[in-house]
Amino acid sequence: SSHEHKLNFKKSKEVCLSYIQDAMLRKQWKRAAEFLTSYIESLEKDFSREYMGPSEIIWRIGTEILCHHSHSSMKEFNSFIEQMKTLGVKRYLKVCLEHTFHLLCNGLVDEAYENLSLAESWRFGEQTAIQDKEMKLIQAYRGLLDYYSWSKQKNILLEHGQDGFEDLSVEQEMHSCFRKAAVNLKEIIKIPGVWDLFVKCYVDLLEFYGDHNEARQVLNEYAYNSKFPANPNAHVYLYQFLKRHGESKKSLISTLKILHDIVPSHELMIDFNTMLQKSKKRKKRRLGLEVIFAALDYAGWKENVKAWSCLARQVKKIVISEKHLDWIKQEWNSRKDWWPTFHFSRYLAKRNWQENESLSYEKALVAGILLGKDCKYFKYISHQGCKAQMKRFRILKKFVNKHNPVYLRISG
Amino acid sequence: QAQTTFVPRRGGTGESWEPADAAAVPLLPPNASCWDPSLAPQDILYRGILRRKLRAGRYGAALDFTKQLSHFFVDHPEDAFGSLGQLLHKNFYLGNSTLRRQAQEDTIRMTALMEEIYRLEARRGCPRHHVASRLRWFSHLCRDWLFEVPLGLLADCLHEELLLQWANLLFDDSPTGGALAWLPPKDMGACMGCVVYPGGQAMNHLYFQDVVLGELPRARGSPAQFELNGSIQQVAAARVDGEDFIGVRSDYHCGVWRVPGRTGAAPVPLQVIRTGTPASCLTVSPHLPGELAVCTQSGTVYLWSVETGLQRLRHDPQTMFFRDHSPWRWSDFTAHPRVLSCADRTGLQCLDARAPERCHFDLFKVGEEAGCQQGERVVLPLYLGRAHPSQHLVTTQFSVYLLDERLPLVPMLKWAHMMKAPPLFAHLTPGGPGRSHKVLLGTSRTQELLLLQYRGERWGSGRGSRSACQLAGPPQKLHSIAGCLQHLPAQLPHRHRLLQQRLSAPAAGLAAALQEDGPRESLLVFQLSEAGDVFCQRLTHEAVQPPAPTLGDEAAAAPGSSPLFDPAAALRYRRWLKALPKSCGEPPRHSWPPTLSQKRLFTRKELEVPASPSALHEEARQRLRQAMREGSRIQHWDPPATQIPALPQPEEPAGDLDALSTRLTAAWAGDWGQWWEERSSFNMAQRQRALRERRRRQKRARGQHSLSASFTSSLTYQSELSELSDAAPLPLSPACPAVLPQEGSPLAGSPPASPPPDEALLSSQSLRCRGIPKERRKTLRDYLSVWAEGPPEPPEPPGSQASQLCIPSSQSQLSSASQTRRKRARMGF
Repeated sequence: SSHEHKLNFKKSKEVCLSYIQDAMLRKQWKRAAEFLTSYIESLEKDFSREYMGPSEIIWRIGTEILCHHSHSSMKEFNSFIEQMKTLGVKRYLKVCLEHTFHLLCNGLVDEAYENLSLAESWRFGEQTAIQDKEMKLIQAYRGLLDYYSWSKQKNILLEHGQDGFEDLSVEQEMHSCFRKAAVNLKEIIKIPGVWDLFVKCYVDLLEFYGDHNEARQVLNEYAYNSKFPANPNAHVYLYQFLKRHGESKKSLISTLKILHDIVPSHELMIDFNTMLQKSKKRKKRRLGLEVIFAALDYAGWKENVKAWSCLARQVKKIVISEKHLDWIKQEWNSRKDWWPTFHFSRYLAKRNWQENESLSYEKALVAGILLGKDCKYFKYISHQGCKAQMKRFRILKKFVNKHNPVYLRISG
Repeated sequence: QAQTTFVPRRGGTGESWEPADAAAVPLLPPNASCWDPSLAPQDILYRGILRRKLRAGRYGAALDFTKQLSHFFVDHPEDAFGSLGQLLHKNFYLGNSTLRRQAQEDTIRMTALMEEIYRLEARRGCPRHHVASRLRWFSHLCRDWLFEVPLGLLADCLHEELLLQWANLLFDDSPTGGALAWLPPKDMGACMGCVVYPGGQAMNHLYFQDVVLGELPRARGSPAQFELNGSIQQVAAARVDGEDFIGVRSDYHCGVWRVPGRTGAAPVPLQVIRTGTPASCLTVSPHLPGELAVCTQSGTVYLWSVETGLQRLRHDPQTMFFRDHSPWRWSDFTAHPRVLSCADRTGLQCLDARAPERCHFDLFKVGEEAGCQQGERVVLPLYLGRAHPSQHLVTTQFSVYLLDERLPLVPMLKWAHMMKAPPLFAHLTPGGPGRSHKVLLGTSRTQELLLLQYRGERWGSGRGSRSACQLAGPPQKLHSIAGCLQHLPAQLPHRHRLLQQRLSAPAAGLAAALQEDGPRESLLVFQLSEAGDVFCQRLTHEAVQPPAPTLGDEAAAAPGSSPLFDPAAALRYRRWLKALPKSCGEPPRHSWPPTLSQKRLFTRKELEVPASPSALHEEARQRLRQAMREGSRIQHWDPPATQIPALPQPEEPAGDLDALSTRLTAAWAGDWGQWWEERSSFNMAQRQRALRERRRRQKRARGQHSLSASFTSSLTYQSELSELSDAAPLPLSPACPAVLPQEGSPLAGSPPASPPPDEALLSSQSLRCRGIPKERRKTLRDYLSVWAEGPPEPPEPPGSQASQLCIPSSQSQLSSASQTRRKRARMGF
């Protein structure tokens, strides 16, 4: 019966697909290609309402096979993709985009550009929301390629400009590239999303033509618009922009403060801490201590010498001045139950001493102040240091012994 | 930025890791348990007509409710009808004979009802069967009072249980995370690590087995063993400050062990907690010694510290982002030692243990942001801290996501894995500078195993190498445990089935060890099956890329020719196969010969033993006992081989063609009639010759009875066993010479014909002297001839052989059992 026939057809389709999959996962591309040619028959009766229909599967698998097959050429790949474009109208833009990526990865920038322009002029019925977004992406990537050719021409001009030679046509072309790129890039970054590359390029364009206000607005929007994902890079770009344009410390600090709130473990926290330590305001110095303590909470910072030396420097300053010991106390309160095992175990003392002496020095200082002179970490390192007759370790030991009462005040 | 280059997100070049062997090799001897295959759909679903009818309906699965209920009644009669059964059993008579007058007053004869029920069973599936009125009457009569548990209540419970079992069949998440862990060598460069795995009959023993990594990893010494209170679902391990902490989860208990940093130090149990609802997750902190995360199915997440005890971080029976019925929860650690990730089927959140109510953020949400499909659910999150401190892996039944907790909700990488079952196990092997990280994904029921490589921004490598995460190279399929079956030597069918069942037991865990041996690197992948067997396979890294694409294709060219193992692996296999039946105890029941009931063939009187049992009786009984002890067959019940020669087989002159083929060939050629002529005359002549020969021999052999040589069935069985252990088919002839007829012997390879029962037994004389009534003799004769599998007998052979009476198998089975009730204990029952 027809029902049974359909069922059998479906079953053999599935079996064939699993063969293809198996071959691909074993890197048997030739075998997979052979199975795929049989699978193409499944297009004949494609009534599936599944998430991924056969035509999409054929496109994806075919692309994958052609990418790895030893005998495939770019020409074959292109002709396969052209066929796939006609196979599903709804997927046309997606296929175009993937095709472009493939061309780009193989260094065929001009072909990629052409491909994008073609896709951009494609129209089919009424556009759905998804198609709209895909079209925006296509335009954005074209904008990106325009940006790259703009930047190439800019470099040529700058080089030639040094020779005192000017080429009007190159300059004109460069400006037209700028216009094309700017229009498209501007569009995509209005949509909420992660557009790091596009934003950077667009800002670069704007900065080159001196439109700092627009650039700042774009970066602010990208960083602070709540519809966008909380992207730490957005704040980094803003910070870098502000720094480039010599903005005030205050605005830099407020930018980094937000970055600190989102990602306390960001690398810029060291810069942030240094900046805050230098500040005259007590509140900011206090924030600096918080920032560096928070950064060292993270596993990724465990062996960061810079961070430990920042903390050691600030703690030492506080201990010597004997002012604001309560800052340390407060920070230490929420950490004293786990930092000793996390940072200052005997095992780590041994390992730090073996692997990184200056790290062990900075950590020993912090440990000596926070945990007293009897703490395992400090004892081991100072002992080893003194045994190795290193001067700075002897000074360290003296310093900690002298300020041992501080420990009692902190832990008390 | 003079030169802009683009790199693909996926499909770029990865490292080449090629399997060193053709299949996974056993790492340890088989688990000493007779593993029962877990529930299969056909066990609880309707079969036959009803299924087809029901499948057309709206319900996806038609659970065979009545079958299960009847199983319950049969398997647990005490629980089902205990008290009333006891009360009534005097009044129900199940025998055959008519009741005596006195008993008639308070006893009902149920025999007819029983017959009705048997008949019903025989007609199961028959479209024209109607429920007998007698049965309907009986069920109406006693439905309300017969059952120990009210029928409605029992049915409700059973139905609930069936649904639960069915849900578990569709997807069982209890082994999530896997119950296998590898503790790498303590010192750099050393090669002795430790596998931690569950075993034993109920998977309730925890083993720590030292393993030496070599060409083929091998166990050293005997494992440290702990007996636990429940079957182990998950074993998780992490190394902190040079010490290994191992968390072990069973349904209601979680425990933590510590293996000190010295090489060869014994594991120390530290603490156990008990949970009210089953725990669904246990992860060990990679940051702080003795810290674990525990989740229970009631939606509670705990931070468990060996020193300070349990801290409840969250209690919410509802799922986080949208409603989902699954009570599964998971928790893992993050880059911050005080922040835990917390997952249910709808997504992941991060909680700060210092202020769990206030400080949390969403890490992953099933939904549009991650481009999820409809129905997609989180299956297993994994913290990838050893590769990058802020990265996490999230697997769903469709895809794998790589997340960075610094930019939550937006996956860094997504890849559709296309595995047939959801990946319940994942393992990370971080790569060094400039190398890719290796992630292994494993499924349970289908035993799939995938190796993915990804490259990501490396922590602390400065600003130069900033690049987005990318999948390196195409994913690769590794050997499953069941895959080795095709490489093993041919087995006997029942043995093959057994082995297949054992080897295709669902996977229960996954671990991997990276072994660096100078410039050569290899990745050892360990797999645990639900039966408790641990297998391993080696992947070797080719530092120089070979012309890769052809390599795989060549291997595929000849699927039939199974590449052989190297001798060490083959030896490992042989040992494993040899140890398997021993570890199983005795062969499982379904490989036993079928039994035939003949209860209704004879009355007890007919089967009564003669007053003075003859010597043959004794012998027969003895053999029967032996057969029972060994659980073997007694079909070849022939008297001493010298006495009765086998009846000659219709010998084929053509030599290597069987009867049917020659006959068909003849028929095809058109001279069928001639064939028949030839055959029958040939037969006649041969038969006469054989009979003559037999008489001559019997005369010669009279008096020297020896049964010992003839008991062939136990011999064949022994040979089967030895064949299994040798893992190679054994030639038929030398092991069982007794079954080969001496004369007119059929060609080697064709099954030997079993000799017919002694005709003397069938003689009416002998039957009469055994007190069997005349009208039953014919039945008995027919019956016995069926048992003998031999050609039909001449009606009345000479009666002179009455002294060599031999009792055919089934009858003697019964008679000896009923006769020697007193001796039972000695027989080993």
